[in-house]
Amino acid sequence: MPQLNPKPWFMILFFSWVIFLTIIPTKIINHIQPNDPTQVDAKEHKNDTWNWPW
Amino acid sequence: MMTSFFDQFASPYLLGIPLILVAMLLPWLLFPAPTSRWINNRLITVQTWLTGRFTNQLMTPLNFSGHKWALLFASLMVFLITINLLGLLPYTFTPTTQLSLNMGFAVPLWLATVIIGMKNQPTIALGHLLPEGTPIPLIPALIIIETISLFIRPLALGVRLTANLTAGHLLIQLIATAVFVLLPMMPAVAILTASVLFLLTLLEVAVAMIQAYVFILLLSLYLQENI
Repeated sequence: MPQLNPKPWFMILFFSWVIFLTIIPTKIINHIQPNDPTQVDAKEHKNDTWNWPW
Repeated sequence: MMTSFFDQFASPYLLGIPLILVAMLLPWLLFPAPTSRWINNRLITVQTWLTGRFTNQLMTPLNFSGHKWALLFASLMVFLITINLLGLLPYTFTPTTQLSLNMGFAVPLWLATVIIGMKNQPTIALGHLLPEGTPIPLIPALIIIETISLFIRPLALGVRLTANLTAGHLLIQLIATAVFVLLPMMPAVAILTASVLFLLTLLEVAVAMIQAYVFILLLSLYLQENI
């Protein structure tokens, strides 16, 4: 069963983490979710959307 | 010609390049950068909605200090779900069937949650090794069992993903081979088998998504215990 063979384990570990840490977070963090637009005459403005905590 | 049903899980080489690298590197072209405008295209809108809802769902039970993990979890979810789903396409290689890749993600992230627990709240972290209200004679045995169960978590996490995807790919291949073999002999049975194959493929699409989610969910539960 070749999928259980850990032979190039360091290369797989290294490259998967490099891809996981460099490419994907930069793409994910670009997805911002601004507040829904409210009407000009709205009494209250709802600010309940969630965003990345930093 | 396939020599063995397990050959599909060995990373193929093309021009000396292991295709596991290509299979991990190329899917991110499917995630274009969102614009700064209000209106995005359909793909980006779905991706924004999905990451937002998923992160919201995952972070709700965690307290605020755990929210620092939001980006890491969302990224890992997108990574696993994309590779799992694209791996179901015919003639592709699935990197997440490799035990070394899954353990490579499971062990460091599990270790991070344990280290955070031991550093920030050692009493509570060690307290998880003994459930409340245990009868006194059972205490030594229970601590040993809980310690083993703590250390077996990363193994279970990695093996779960590997085993599920391997089993799914193997079943698809076995039934597809059966369809081809049966077709000249018993066409009616072959068509019936092909419809089973279709249903199995639907199941595997579900499994690919569910297993990616389960991986992240379990990591978030481990984090929740320790933060």
